[in-house]
Amino acid sequence: MKPAVTASRRAAIQAGSLAGLVALWWAAATAAQSPALPGPVAVWAAFLEQVATDGYFGHLAATLARVAAAFLLAMVIGSALGIFLGSRRLADHLFGGWLVFLLNLPALVVIILCYIWFGLTEVAAIAAVSINKIPNVTATLREGARALSRDLDEMAWVYTYSTTRRIRHVILPQMASYFAVAARNGMALVWKIVLVVEFLGRPNGVGFQLHTYFQLFDVATILAYAIGFIIVVLAIEHLLFEPWERYATRWRR
Amino acid sequence: MTGLAVDITAKRFASAHVLGEFRFTLEPGERVAVLGDSGIGKSTLLAMIVGYDSDFEGRITRPAGRAAMVFQTPRLLPWRTLAENIAVTPGAGTRARARELLAEVGLGAAAEQYPETVSLGMQRRAALVRALAISPSLILLDEPLVSLDPETLTSVRDLMVQILDRTLATCVMATHDRREALAVADRLIELGGRPARITSDRPTGLARAERGDPRAIDAALARLFPSP
Repeated sequence: MKPAVTASRRAAIQAGSLAGLVALWWAAATAAQSPALPGPVAVWAAFLEQVATDGYFGHLAATLARVAAAFLLAMVIGSALGIFLGSRRLADHLFGGWLVFLLNLPALVVIILCYIWFGLTEVAAIAAVSINKIPNVTATLREGARALSRDLDEMAWVYTYSTTRRIRHVILPQMASYFAVAARNGMALVWKIVLVVEFLGRPNGVGFQLHTYFQLFDVATILAYAIGFIIVVLAIEHLLFEPWERYATRWRR
Repeated sequence: MTGLAVDITAKRFASAHVLGEFRFTLEPGERVAVLGDSGIGKSTLLAMIVGYDSDFEGRITRPAGRAAMVFQTPRLLPWRTLAENIAVTPGAGTRARARELLAEVGLGAAAEQYPETVSLGMQRRAALVRALAISPSLILLDEPLVSLDPETLTSVRDLMVQILDRTLATCVMATHDRREALAVADRLIELGGRPARITSDRPTGLARAERGDPRAIDAALARLFPSP
């Protein structure tokens, strides 16, 4: 564990650096004087306008609900498949090739196919996002399952651990860092793809709003949604993932 | 009632013939040291005796009751504290009992620490407490004292003997160190050749009470392994 002083100093540097980015943006917008590059003040005004008239937070919530659903689905299915492939050599030989194929399937193709096959429905949207994410989770967790300690497996066998005890005390803690990597990369991927899915075929959500205001060339509103979204994603990262990761690795020296 | 009966015809890994014909029996409570160079197949033999490795020709009869094993590395769960490591072991009892047992061997203060934050000697002692906690009828020790400094080694070895005395378990210890073998075992089995076979099987001739005495060990060493 690093000392708190270093952590707070790092936070201060990061905050200063972010303020610098905003200042740079503001200076560029002032110089450009164009509706294509609105400054922070114009974006703030667009944000307030959206909150008042167009249900800003409703759209944000709709998107987050899709992110959560697709994320959970992908983590559960992807982990199960990954652990299965990582612990059965024959299955890995049989299906490893499928995984490579799915990993390289473009996200947009999956989305289009899901919409064509299942219609422009919520199920199709969430399925499309999950399917994009599952191969990554599977590949990560497969590595984790391959790296499981044979020594601890033997120990658990000798001391007659039951299956549930073995999963809870021996296997899952070893997989924790792989879950963390999969979850982190997963969030980054899922929230980007969710916007595309909404853009192409949903009647609400941040992606739908981006579509609407793209047609109106309203850059300030587009940025208002983008920044709001970034803030939510960062909050989830810092308030959910980081504390959990710290908890899961508390035993390390 | 038997302690342990080992009757192996052959053990192979792919094409490598590791163990040849291999036969010995132990009385309940008897302690044998299996002596041989590193890599000769001692760990494999222990894995077969405990039942983890069942891919061999022959038959092994274990005593009724639980089996405990102390490995070359402590093999504690790094993400559980020492007390948790013992308490999650089936048959070891509650966390409170785990703390009591740890306190008995001088690990009371470290009971709620994670294995990687304590010394190797302490981890080994905790691993021994785990073996003790399940009251086994069979204890297998796989080089339980390697990479300890001389002082820690003595204290861990004494604890090991104490635990054997308390549980009255039948014991097989694999080691490459003759001194260590004489300090613990009633009987020595030496391995040699490839595939490995038993080259000698004889009592140490040391009473259990004498084994803590370095001079008695020296005398037994000279008697059992005369230099040519």
